[in-house]
Amino acid sequence: MSSALHPPTAHRMIEASGVHKWYPNGFHALRGASLSVHRGEVVVIMGPSGSGKSTFIRTFNALEDFQQGTITVDGIALSNDLRQIDAIRREVGMVFQQFNLFPHLTVLENLTLAPVLVRRRDRAEVETQARALLQRVNIAEQADKFPGQLSGGQQQRVAIARSLCMEPKILLFDEPTSALDPEMVREVLEVMQDLARDEGMTMVVVTHEVRFAREVAHRVVLMDHGEVVEEAPPELFFTNPAHQRTRAFLDQIL
Amino acid sequence: MSHPALKPPLGTRLRSELFGSPGNSALTLVLLAALGSAAFGLLHWGLVQARWAVVRANSTLFAVGRYPLDQQWRLWLLTALLAAAAGLAWGLLRSHPRRDRGGELWPRNDRIAVVLLAATALAVPWWLRLEPLIQARWWGITALLLLVRWAAGHWGQRLPARLLALLPLLWPLLYLVGMLLINGGVGLLPVPPGDWGGLLLTLIAASFAILLCFPLGVLLALGRRSDLPLLRWGSVLYIEFIRGAPLITLLFLGQNMIGFLLPGGLAPDRVWRAAWVLTFFAAAYLAEAVRAGLVAIPPGQLEAARSLGLTVPQALRTVVLPQALRVALPTMVGQFISLLQDTTMLSLVGLMELMGTARTVMANPAYLGRNAEVYLTLAVLFWCCCAALGLGSRALERRLDPNPAS
Ligand SMILES: Nc1ncnc2c1ncn2[C@@H]1O[C@H](COP(=O)(O)OP(=O)(O)OP(=O)(O)O)[C@@H](O)[C@H]1O
Ligand SMILES: [Mg+2]
Repeated sequence: MSSALHPPTAHRMIEASGVHKWYPNGFHALRGASLSVHRGEVVVIMGPSGSGKSTFIRTFNALEDFQQGTITVDGIALSNDLRQIDAIRREVGMVFQQFNLFPHLTVLENLTLAPVLVRRRDRAEVETQARALLQRVNIAEQADKFPGQLSGGQQQRVAIARSLCMEPKILLFDEPTSALDPEMVREVLEVMQDLARDEGMTMVVVTHEVRFAREVAHRVVLMDHGEVVEEAPPELFFTNPAHQRTRAFLDQIL
Repeated sequence: MSHPALKPPLGTRLRSELFGSPGNSALTLVLLAALGSAAFGLLHWGLVQARWAVVRANSTLFAVGRYPLDQQWRLWLLTALLAAAAGLAWGLLRSHPRRDRGGELWPRNDRIAVVLLAATALAVPWWLRLEPLIQARWWGITALLLLVRWAAGHWGQRLPARLLALLPLLWPLLYLVGMLLINGGVGLLPVPPGDWGGLLLTLIAASFAILLCFPLGVLLALGRRSDLPLLRWGSVLYIEFIRGAPLITLLFLGQNMIGFLLPGGLAPDRVWRAAWVLTFFAAAYLAEAVRAGLVAIPPGQLEAARSLGLTVPQALRTVVLPQALRVALPTMVGQFISLLQDTTMLSLVGLMELMGTARTVMANPAYLGRNAEVYLTLAVLFWCCCAALGLGSRALERRLDPNPAS
């Protein structure tokens, strides 16, 4: 299976080390979490609810701030400098559990908004690219509909296409299939799998889809209580984990 | 929700609701008798007893106050421009590509509106006994509106998208042109605000306040949700202060205080003082309406926009505000309608808008005891303006609805 994967390169796309985060209410959500992701690598993050998975990947594109530690994205250190944050967000795409499509815009307008506004590209050119992307995620015929007229699975594929239209170097996924009816999960996972295999896209995916993790991930990571507890290739992670906490977690989901 | 076809026909339903039981039947009959006698009384009063000379003789005063006669062509020109713009907006609304959601070029409501407009244009000037030339002007303006409506409906779709996107800018432009025409200067004879009056002044004050309180209200609403404490508390303080004070006190405060605060030459004229007070007053209420709209938008929308690289102002402009304002639109229009009605307060600080004009007319001994005629005329005028606002907003609401089916 994993022979079909691109080998990741040595170039480090994300380098997070010793990240601590306190929410404004004082809750200590990240307690020294560390992770590095190489270019072309697919990393799956698992862990019990409330362990800080969402918080952690949201720090990678500065949707959440953090108080201690360092995070470097494609060579740029995340700081409070707003211009750098904007620069990083342009290169890092994010796909959310609730899709977060813009309901007042058509599918096509959802895709073209950011490239035209942020990258200042020519609208006609972006539209051509957007239609090609919609073709790739198998919803070309929905381009002129509004998000509310699509099924959940279709909406999530639009959301992926919307991120891709910005030509990001990294894609973050926060439980992209958790809000979907079971019969729609596969169509979304297939799109993600194609992205990893055909494009060699760098992806960090929070998910509990074990099959996806086994077949697509280079590495699986377990988070618990705001820390990265275990990191291992999938075959090792699911069959012979090193840590007791990983075993306890796997007992619950397998 | 029941399927419409499953409902019994209207006649059957009415009969069972109104005459279902002996008690119901009796109640219905009593109510019908009361309504009938009230309607008859009103009709009898309006046609037989009322002396409409008070309105007919003062129709110009009610329309424009003491605006100089030889300069009134400027107001006619402005009315024609406004009619053309309204026809254009109306026609484009129907010709827009998104019309495919069930709309036609001349839906039934539009046909009714055309008949009503034409009837009004013929009947009202005749009933007011206006001079034939002036009656003809009203017909011309109405014909212009309908002609532009027709043309825009047929050919609007063929206009290039870029031009269509720019068209809303026509409104502020038209507003500036209108103010220039009314006020004069730049080659036109200046007509000072003290000479404006009647419906003209009412509409100037209301439209000025509506136009300016909108951006101000949006900024205040954003300020109230800002992360910067100074901005947040400043907005809260402003909104709560204004909402806690009656408009009339603010109007008097405005008339008196601005004189103290600004040196004589800089202090705006009394009309503009009042218009600014109205603006600041309305902005506080509008801010609350907009805030309710902002609260209704899930935070994920801003996060998605930010993660696509949009800056906060870009995200607000293209993602958050369009949705929030769509949600807030009905409340906002409600605010605008009360604002229009609040302009009657200007008469209490001595301005000659509709209410002030009415009061001077009624004070004239020649029209002693003709208060009912004057007040009814005022009520109908205000009702027409508010109905127009309401119709416009409903059309806009339907246009902006991304999910017409749901
Ligand atoms: N805005 C916030 N303020 C305070 N605490 C928060 C906030 N957001 C999250 N938390 C807390 O931080 C912890 C980590 O949350 P996070 O959403 O990162 O967990 P998660 O691993 O993604 O969980 P799930 O699987 O349920 O999505 C949780 O205990 C949560 O209650
Ligand atoms: Mg989560």
